[in-house]
Amino acid sequence: MENFEAKAEWVRTALREYEGPLIRYAAQITGDLDRARDVVQDTFLRLCAESPTRLNSHLKEWLFTVCRNRALDVMRKEHRMKPMDQVELEASVSREPSPAAQAEQNESTRQAIRLLESLPANQKEVVRLKFQGGLSYKEISRVTNLSVSNVGFLIHTAIKTLREQMQDEGLGLTGKRGEL
Amino acid sequence: MNLNSDDPKLTAYALGELEGKERTEVETLLADNPKARQWVEEVRKTATQLEGELCRGEVPQLNSEQVGAIEAELALREQEAKEPKWQPAESPQRKPFLWRPLIEALAVVAILATIAAMFLPALAKSKRKAQKMAQREELRAQNEDLNQLAPPPSLPVPQPAPQSVYEPNRQRPASRPTSLDGDDAFRRGGGVSEQEETFRRRYATPSASAFNASSRFSTESYSPIADNGFLAVPDNPLSTFSIDVDTASYSMVRRFLNQRQLPPRDAVRIEEMVNYFPYNYRRPTDRRPFAANVEIASCPWNEKHRLVRIGLKGREVANDKRPPGNLVFLVDVSGSMQARNKLPLVKQSLRLLVQQLTESDRVSLVVYAGKAGEVLPSTSGNDKRRILDALDRLEAGGSTHGSQGIQLAYRIATENFIPGGVNRVILCTDGDFNVGVTSPGELLRLIEDKAKSGVLLTVLGFGMGNYKDSTVEMLADKGNGNYAYIDTIAEGQKVLVDQMSGTLVTIAKDVKIQVEFNPAQASAYRLVGYENRLLNKEDFNNDQKDAGDIGAGHTVTALYEVVPVGVSPDAPGVDPLKYQRPMPLSRAAESDELLTLKLRYKEPDGETSKLMTAAVTDAGRRYAQASQDFKFASAVAAFGMVLRDSPYKGTASFDSVWELAREGQGRDAEGYREEFLKLVESAKAIQGRSR
Repeated sequence: MENFEAKAEWVRTALREYEGPLIRYAAQITGDLDRARDVVQDTFLRLCAESPTRLNSHLKEWLFTVCRNRALDVMRKEHRMKPMDQVELEASVSREPSPAAQAEQNESTRQAIRLLESLPANQKEVVRLKFQGGLSYKEISRVTNLSVSNVGFLIHTAIKTLREQMQDEGLGLTGKRGEL
Repeated sequence: MNLNSDDPKLTAYALGELEGKERTEVETLLADNPKARQWVEEVRKTATQLEGELCRGEVPQLNSEQVGAIEAELALREQEAKEPKWQPAESPQRKPFLWRPLIEALAVVAILATIAAMFLPALAKSKRKAQKMAQREELRAQNEDLNQLAPPPSLPVPQPAPQSVYEPNRQRPASRPTSLDGDDAFRRGGGVSEQEETFRRRYATPSASAFNASSRFSTESYSPIADNGFLAVPDNPLSTFSIDVDTASYSMVRRFLNQRQLPPRDAVRIEEMVNYFPYNYRRPTDRRPFAANVEIASCPWNEKHRLVRIGLKGREVANDKRPPGNLVFLVDVSGSMQARNKLPLVKQSLRLLVQQLTESDRVSLVVYAGKAGEVLPSTSGNDKRRILDALDRLEAGGSTHGSQGIQLAYRIATENFIPGGVNRVILCTDGDFNVGVTSPGELLRLIEDKAKSGVLLTVLGFGMGNYKDSTVEMLADKGNGNYAYIDTIAEGQKVLVDQMSGTLVTIAKDVKIQVEFNPAQASAYRLVGYENRLLNKEDFNNDQKDAGDIGAGHTVTALYEVVPVGVSPDAPGVDPLKYQRPMPLSRAAESDELLTLKLRYKEPDGETSKLMTAAVTDAGRRYAQASQDFKFASAVAAFGMVLRDSPYKGTASFDSVWELAREGQGRDAEGYREEFLKLVESAKAIQGRSR
């Protein structure tokens, strides 16, 4: 019985920690929050069947992997699979900051996320896994089946493009224009 | 190696992805390459900005039904593990699409599992422990004492009960879920989905208690409780549970009501409310540590049912006859304890306790925050000045490293162990263990391990806001201890002065109750409260199985709501069995006995349990004829059920509770029952206001 208590707690802790990042990630693929929630619920139902000792330090990448595959599967099954570029920016409604917070955000921040959306799908995904999901290159490589150096290259390219475009628009993060 | 600013390696370095040699290499090259340095700088700025941007805004969460489904899955897995023959098709919670497993996902899982297996350190220790616990101990019946215990005068001599009783649906113990940050989850006023209802009905065993799932906004946490349901006597003739002398739930309910709020459902543990009050039960007249008193009358919230009250009364021990104490105060001085109702109240309360000590007692003081430290080495109870000074100097600050503090406190208690004395760690905390041992499970194992040293634990809970009731209750449970919640200095007075012997001196440990109902008299029964304390029927005779301890002068009360034969029970029926016929009744069933009460306990320093049994007959008393204690206890239980909005509350309401309690108020020298009446009035006012 104690095993179960420990296990239940393990699942709950994982839920608290990762449901947000996972829903956001899944929403990138499914294009809406409701289906993303279903996918994440399913991910955690599967986690209930796993053993904490077996997953141990790989919990995070396991969750993202299962979540990704579930999300892709749902899209495939529903014949709604679109290239990821075309998927709307997730849940802009729910992620809209309060008016006060919005006022505080400077121009370049909003610019950054808009520019991110113009990147190719594979770059966008690894950037989100890295900066939204907090995954390491290695973890991203296992989740996406890309090599670590491939992940590194995609992230590098994405950041480079983002910076160049920001500077082109005169909204560079450092304000030092054209120095790179 | 050559580096230009367009090398992905530089970006990887900037993001902290390089290690060891690669990292050193890049650092060397960076030293004389300003352009590369600038790129690293820019990558980091972009990273910060992206993180800020992408993680901004409201974090999406699963809705409560989805969390409920996950909780249900957990509960279901627990059941399946216990009853391996269950068909998976019984699972009611899954959505259809869940049944199509994704081959890719499984493949990745398999690969990951292989990788994981390679890296795994060991949870071996806990595994071994679990195996040990799972081992069926041979049933040992030692020191059997078949004398009757406190039978009402007219009772016939009990016959030995038939032992191997057929039980297709055996009663399972409630799981005790650990902290489930869930106090917004109380599903007050409906909102229970159909799915959940189906689940509840189908698995209406106590272990569905993990089910009352939750959303997660407040940090105050209570483990979910599902009310014990009615069990049919032919299927479940035995009801087994551990006693519980904790009283914290009542203080907590009082705190909420005094703040003009109804308490969260799961903060209401009925047995702890009933046991908050002293009752005038008959004391033991022989050398036994306690006496048992059974009283039966009609049930005030369902007049067709009978209410059976089992009351235990522990032997009194006067303070001057108390064995010498070796007390270690373990005080949480982390930042969260700063509030007025925490550390300052801890100091005040412990001062009260120190005033009661004598020269034969020893006191030490250990604090913990960022790290644990001994503030006062073991000091004579006569040297009050020194102890009080040390208490006064305590200040709050830092984060909580509970495990280290617990380790240190138990070590000091063991070093100063007084054989035959009161060796006890008194932990004062708000239960917010955020540093150190990370999982509640580990903390519990630590405590369980320490409890074997013979040092007992008293947990005094303080404060509100981030109060972790579930953690604290379990600590006390695993640590052979008791648990009180101190919300005011008056409560400190009750726990540490008025009932000091009860709090400190254990007169019997591992006290278990098993009731066998007579199917010729009762068709169904329901244990009111004690959801957390249910045991398997085999556990009763298993001396390895831990149970609650009873302190000097303590009273412990348990109530059963019994459906007499001839009254149709509300419980859902079970299909007739295909391969077995119901067992014929024994001759004892032809007697008019309603039930046989069996108790097991160990002497405080004993390892083998002693048994007490008594057969009980229902004399058919009406409620009006019941004793004042019976009426008051039933009023408190009914209050708990109304607060929990229990499906079994029947006709109970705040008004009827008040009437019952008034009838049962009795002498009430300390004024506890008067206070209860006021609380019922507050609850009613709050409810009226919110409508």
